Amino acid sequence: MSDLEGWRAKAAAWCESMVPQFGKAARKGLSVEEDLALGRRYQKAKFDAGFAGINWPTDLGGQGLGHIEKIAFEAEEMKHGFPNVYFGISLGMPVPVLMQFGTDREFVKERVLKALQGEEIWCQLFSEPSGGTDLAGLRTRAETDGNGWKINGQKVWTSWAQYSDYGVIVVRTDPTVAKHKGLTYFWVDMKAPGVTVRPIKLAGGDSHVNEVFFDDVRIGDDHRMSPVGGGFAVAMATLMIERYVATDSAGFGPHLDLFVDLAKEVRLNGRPAIEDGRIRQQIARNHAMRAGLDSINVRARLMMQAGMTPGPEGSLNKLVAVRSRQKLSELAIDLQGAAGFAFDAHASPKDDWASSWINAPTGRIAGGSDETLLNTIAERILGLPQDHRPDKGVPFNEIPA
Amino acid sequence: MTILHDEGQQAIATESRRVLEARMRKEDLLPLLEVEGRYHEGFWATAKEQGWTALALPESHGGLALGLVELGLIAHQAGRTLSGAPFLTSGFGAAKAIELYGSDAQKARWLPGLASGDSIGAIAFASGADPLPAQPGVRFADGRLDGIAPAVSGGVAADIAILLAAGADGPVLAVAELAGVERRTVASFDNSRCLADLVFAGTPAERLETGGAARDAALHILALQAVVTAHEQTGGAEALMEIARDYAVTRKAFGQPIGAFQSIKHRIAELYGLVELARANCIHAAAREGAEDFITAAAAARLSATEAYDSAARDCVQIHGGIGVTWEIGLHLHMRRARSLALEQGSTLFWEDVLVDRLAGEGA
Repeated sequence: MSDLEGWRAKAAAWCESMVPQFGKAARKGLSVEEDLALGRRYQKAKFDAGFAGINWPTDLGGQGLGHIEKIAFEAEEMKHGFPNVYFGISLGMPVPVLMQFGTDREFVKERVLKALQGEEIWCQLFSEPSGGTDLAGLRTRAETDGNGWKINGQKVWTSWAQYSDYGVIVVRTDPTVAKHKGLTYFWVDMKAPGVTVRPIKLAGGDSHVNEVFFDDVRIGDDHRMSPVGGGFAVAMATLMIERYVATDSAGFGPHLDLFVDLAKEVRLNGRPAIEDGRIRQQIARNHAMRAGLDSINVRARLMMQAGMTPGPEGSLNKLVAVRSRQKLSELAIDLQGAAGFAFDAHASPKDDWASSWINAPTGRIAGGSDETLLNTIAERILGLPQDHRPDKGVPFNEIPA
Repeated sequence: MTILHDEGQQAIATESRRVLEARMRKEDLLPLLEVEGRYHEGFWATAKEQGWTALALPESHGGLALGLVELGLIAHQAGRTLSGAPFLTSGFGAAKAIELYGSDAQKARWLPGLASGDSIGAIAFASGADPLPAQPGVRFADGRLDGIAPAVSGGVAADIAILLAAGADGPVLAVAELAGVERRTVASFDNSRCLADLVFAGTPAERLETGGAARDAALHILALQAVVTAHEQTGGAEALMEIARDYAVTRKAFGQPIGAFQSIKHRIAELYGLVELARANCIHAAAREGAEDFITAAAAARLSATEAYDSAARDCVQIHGGIGVTWEIGLHLHMRRARSLALEQGSTLFWEDVLVDRLAGEGA
């Protein structure tokens, strides 16, 4: 058994042992607050077992291992539906950025350790009402205030802000230069005076995203994590940190086996639906698509293991998997006929077709919309030209609103 | 087997690409569309000279003892440059049938010629619309074949054929030499595939397998060929995606390259996705030869590669506008090839059923 296989086996065994305490059955019927509390205990257990911060430095509480071990663990963890969703953003982006760009190393170490143990949660305050995909178009501003700064404005779609202790934020510090050049990157205390968090209820009924308002929120200059005017580069670094995460060719929806099972149970025109050509075609096409993504992911893992950089085709996963999940979920509802109306707002999108369907649009928009991903593939991989951008090079305060 | 290609395999891909790009020109392929039963002799000579015909066959019979991975890499490059004859795939299928199901005498008799490329092999399983018929149209009795095997790729030039025929005790997998067998050339939209109806009339043939085993063997051969063809399709799709990209960055309209319009750039980005999914499935399937899930992997490769090539042909022509539909620019060579490869080794409709039977636990 290779080291990696040994690691994977260890991870699998640990995950298995956590199922009674933290698995799907243990979470059933919990309120969000109760589930979060369970999640914090799970995160602590993960830390104690040596599975938190797998590829982070040991002096910051990590395990000092590689991406490949992290992905191997995540692939095992993903099978069980543990309450880890509250820490995904926190440990995925803001905290690694803090590790990379935070200047007060004692402060950094204290925060990282608390975040790794589930005691503190960080959010990422990027998107605004006036710009999500167009991040550099953001309008929240920070003005100098004595030796520090004063923040005013609004962020939106901020995941888990209502439970966050800290956040990283990009704001405009100079509106007189081109939009990318007038931004600066800070961290903020989410409990500071002037910060107001208002949850947004989403179509599926849950409220994991928020509006966050900043009214004269004062911070010291020691909160600054980029040069003044150099915030965009750090924001981009944030988005690049976790390029290789465990992926799911099911688009974080139900496994295709569940669709096959459904098609075997349900009858269509007096025959099992699995005998219907329309259903068979969708099963076949979805399988071929998912098998392709799986092969891309396996190849990426093998390349990393061999010390190579995986190809850019890994960027297809979210684009291809989530929109396919959306259509397959529609078909699964169709297949059930009258039974297809049933809806349980607390069901998991991983094993319930209606839940998968109603939450699928979020997956196609959050973290880079389908259209943005297509632009990225076209421009970065294939070398096609950028879209026409009338605001390019124009000072921010001269761009027509 | 790992799906990471080693240095030797990468060299095979690079070298075959170099040779084919130097030797294959659309000006030589276009005239072949307007005559029946002619193939690109330079392509076939290259395949023999480079040892591609011997690649995946056993050393004991003149082969190079490499496998589906290596042949797939070459097929990918052949697809990029529009291979000029179908014999690389059909000969491989015929040779594998003899290697896997033939006697020592049969191997000694036929494999060296197939390995050197001096004899051309063909596969004739289809009957009507069915690539793997339960009731084959050709009959096998007393060591002789009678009946017509329709539209056999390479049939015009083939020296030996592997058939699925109807015998007294169910289907028979048989091998027959084709000297003296009447060929009725089929006029096609892709004439260099050398399609012919083979008319058997008391043609001597030898049995390789009988009954359920014959059908399983035929499916296995079809799957092996399907993986090779899927590589070829992926290569064609990749070439078209690049042609579309190159055109979109140079052609200007309304004061900018047309590739700056999202309707164009997204279409090409979607092609990238289809090509990469097909490539990933091909790489996986080639590495699964001999494994329990080989048929499933082959079906997935086949489905995604057919979708990629058809889509790329459709969209590449569309992105070119008027110039794309001219004879001279030759994009129709790929359009035609996308469709002929979609039919060879069984269409998407066939492989969807093969795949779902397995996923639903009804097959095998």
